[in-house]
Amino acid sequence: MGAAADRLTRLVDAPDRFNIPFTEIAAAQIEALNERFQERKNRIKLLAHRANEAGITQVRSREDMVPLLLPHTAYKSYPESFLIEGKWERLSKWIGTVSSHPIAPIETADITDIDEWIGRLEARGHYVSCSSGTTGKSAMLIASDADMAWSRKDTVGVFSWGSGIKPAQDRRMMGLAPIAHVPKNVVIAEAQRAAFGDPAKEHYRLNVPPITVGQLTRMVVLRKKMTEGTALPEDIAQFERTSRERQETLERAMQEAAEAVVRYRGDKLYVSGLWNALYQVAKQVRELGYAAKDFHPDNCIYVGGGLKRAQLPPDYQQFVHDTFNIPANRHFQNYSMQELNSGMPKCQRGSRYHVPPWMVPFILDEEGNALLPHSGGEIEGRAAFYDLALDGRWGGVITGDRISLDLGPCACGNAGPTVRDNIVRYADIKGDDKIGCAGTVDAYVRGLS
Amino acid sequence: MNAKVQEIERQRVKEGEVLRVDHFIRGKAVAGGAVKYRSRDLGVDFATPEINLNELVVPRSELPPLLDVPLAEIISFLVECGERMVLEKNPYLQEAAERIAVTNPLPRRVIENLFRRARQSLTEEGLRTTIAANFANPAALDGWVERVDSRGQRGALRAYPPRMIHMLAGNSPTGCIASIAQGALVKAINVFKMPSSDPFTCVAMLKTMADVDAGHPVVRSMSAVYWRGGDERIERTLYRPQYFDRIVAWGGGDAINNVIKYTGPGLQLVSFDPKTSISMIGPEGFTSEAVIAEIAEAAATDVAVFNQEACLASRFIFVEGDRAGIEQFCARLCDRLAVDRETASEVAPPPPLDVREEIEMLRVMDDSVRIWGKPDGRGMVILTDEPVDFHPSNKTANVVHVSSLDDAVRFVNVATQTIGMYPPERKAAMRDRLASAGAQRVVRLGTASRHVPGSPHDAMFPLQRFVRWMSDEDAC
Repeated sequence: MGAAADRLTRLVDAPDRFNIPFTEIAAAQIEALNERFQERKNRIKLLAHRANEAGITQVRSREDMVPLLLPHTAYKSYPESFLIEGKWERLSKWIGTVSSHPIAPIETADITDIDEWIGRLEARGHYVSCSSGTTGKSAMLIASDADMAWSRKDTVGVFSWGSGIKPAQDRRMMGLAPIAHVPKNVVIAEAQRAAFGDPAKEHYRLNVPPITVGQLTRMVVLRKKMTEGTALPEDIAQFERTSRERQETLERAMQEAAEAVVRYRGDKLYVSGLWNALYQVAKQVRELGYAAKDFHPDNCIYVGGGLKRAQLPPDYQQFVHDTFNIPANRHFQNYSMQELNSGMPKCQRGSRYHVPPWMVPFILDEEGNALLPHSGGEIEGRAAFYDLALDGRWGGVITGDRISLDLGPCACGNAGPTVRDNIVRYADIKGDDKIGCAGTVDAYVRGLS
Repeated sequence: MNAKVQEIERQRVKEGEVLRVDHFIRGKAVAGGAVKYRSRDLGVDFATPEINLNELVVPRSELPPLLDVPLAEIISFLVECGERMVLEKNPYLQEAAERIAVTNPLPRRVIENLFRRARQSLTEEGLRTTIAANFANPAALDGWVERVDSRGQRGALRAYPPRMIHMLAGNSPTGCIASIAQGALVKAINVFKMPSSDPFTCVAMLKTMADVDAGHPVVRSMSAVYWRGGDERIERTLYRPQYFDRIVAWGGGDAINNVIKYTGPGLQLVSFDPKTSISMIGPEGFTSEAVIAEIAEAAATDVAVFNQEACLASRFIFVEGDRAGIEQFCARLCDRLAVDRETASEVAPPPPLDVREEIEMLRVMDDSVRIWGKPDGRGMVILTDEPVDFHPSNKTANVVHVSSLDDAVRFVNVATQTIGMYPPERKAAMRDRLASAGAQRVVRLGTASRHVPGSPHDAMFPLQRFVRWMSDEDAC
């Protein structure tokens, strides 16, 4: 570990970590980036290739770093045939090209599905999480024990800072969303419960079977077969049956969850979920005849992820907050993604996401090729970050998001860099008007998007 | 204008200038400026006139202006217009080319070549062949054709002019000339919805036609406008069977899904689907250096067309034969991708980020994959044993080494359009299986962008589907 990187990541315990002006740590960040680069350039094959192509041997500026940032799609760059044909050895080799640590050899001959493959890697200290991309491929992100330990700590700090709630183990935990069962999500849920949950009160979880990576990829496999024309009608009917059953189970579970929320309305609650699920449960709570006045005045809420294309009425946040009686100073939002290891909590007064000192933000042009000049004020462009806290893989990621970054102080009084609350995915703003004769067989697949 | 100047020009326009987009409404040009938009591909601002929806619709109480104009006269008018479509002499086209160079990713030189080629869609022979291929009896376009059945029952038939919306494609600026010709040949009342990457050419061509004869029924049957695709305010109002019979649309995904919402009884969609094209080369192609050079050039021609933006541009090349010869072919193909052609440029825009990433990963994973070229827009060749997952674009060819071309048939699907074959004799042996798998067209390698006039498009004769077959019957 490098000295500068250590200095910056140690700030995770500093109460004023978001109050450090960018200019004060800019030099230390570049030093830390170079440390990370020197440590890993010979360990991460993809990084070595990048550095070689760009002719970079030292990171001396933010510009030097740009060709070394990996697009978020790098973690989806495995051929789908590895999953479909169960080429676990190849998949291990692929993930080895993005891992900081050599992948310990695992027995693959008797592996029947990806969940088993992930399980075996986990037993060797490699934690593979997947993005829950509903269309096409999932990103596969490898992490280490150190990353898991960091997530455990960071998630509590981020939530506490953003919501103003001390980790006092005094709440009833209400998990109201179906969450993909991947190591990072599991660790975060455990850490939150340990910090904020009353050990005497049972942790409520939405009553649905865990969503595994295997289930996510089954859809990818079927989709591939549909595009090739080899999926038989009964395969599709079976898949749709399973989806319907899962949907019915989910709806039943939401109803039960709403009833549980009502049952525990006297307790101080910690409600967690994704916006869509929270909204659906809130609606049912209202239908049962309950609203804000029936709940504890100091409830809090942890919301993960964005809308994921769910169609909700424009006032959905207000509706959720009002239903569960979440006071205005307890609203919590976090900007992060599976590709990073740390969170960026939103402040109450400035309504902006705060970038911690160990997270180096970059604003690139839309194509992700070049750093935009930025000496002060707010600029808009493609977000990229280097998370110095990442150990198991390279910390530099070019995201799919368009953000506005301000290096100067926030209205809330903190001096560190912040991101405006207007983040959009480039994928959602493009392609609305596209028409042409060239295209792929994807346009011929119905029902799996 | 060279690439650098074009870039500077695009930059200048991006930084504030708003391009004026004119509309054309049933024979008259309408000057733009009122409604501002941003183009999809390059983010250039332009401003159109306000659309008056009433002017785009001809009430059904009015007969189509072309109804009683003989086909022969329509053809001679189109041919006369075609003669005016000479870039060097036509200020409308010059202006359009100038502006497209700013809104469209194609290089200026290719755009100009496309304009030079466009008039080939308006030749007497081409138009007559199209009619002959589409209609068993073209007289049905000009009037009621009598027929009698075996029992002596009489009837008459007419290919009646439709009211049509054409959603023009954005990837080939001069594709609209074919749509104009088609609309005129079936005597339709036409509304052309222009794409944001080229809201100019269609109007420029219609203005040229109006200069020939502003009052001609062909000209009075045509309107060309731009609105943002998916704009509910316009599409929900306009796309009704009371106003239109057919919507002709290119593409897939959101563009088509938007239209499908409005189709139903009386309003039919004739779609030109999004397509991918491929090539197949047998072992004969890798027998000598001379043959390798010849097929590499032919394959490069098919891959590079429109810098691979077109549906007929080959993306996967299935090869059977000797490995050393195949690798030699790949190297040669990569060289030949990096040359200026009539419809392709030496340096195209580089492949998108996610594709570059997948290619890079293939390179790092090394083992069985070989890669020629760099993602710099000059073209790349990727040799694998199975087709890659991504959609090769921007002059990228995935050469797939199969043990036999028969094995490659399983990679042909309902989205496969053109298959360029070498040696051409293999076509006859494979075409039934290729058709069964979903393909539509098999050609000699290197000729994907050349057409035998009167050939079907998208496995159909579209003009026949445009018209409304009206029947007059005297059954006993």
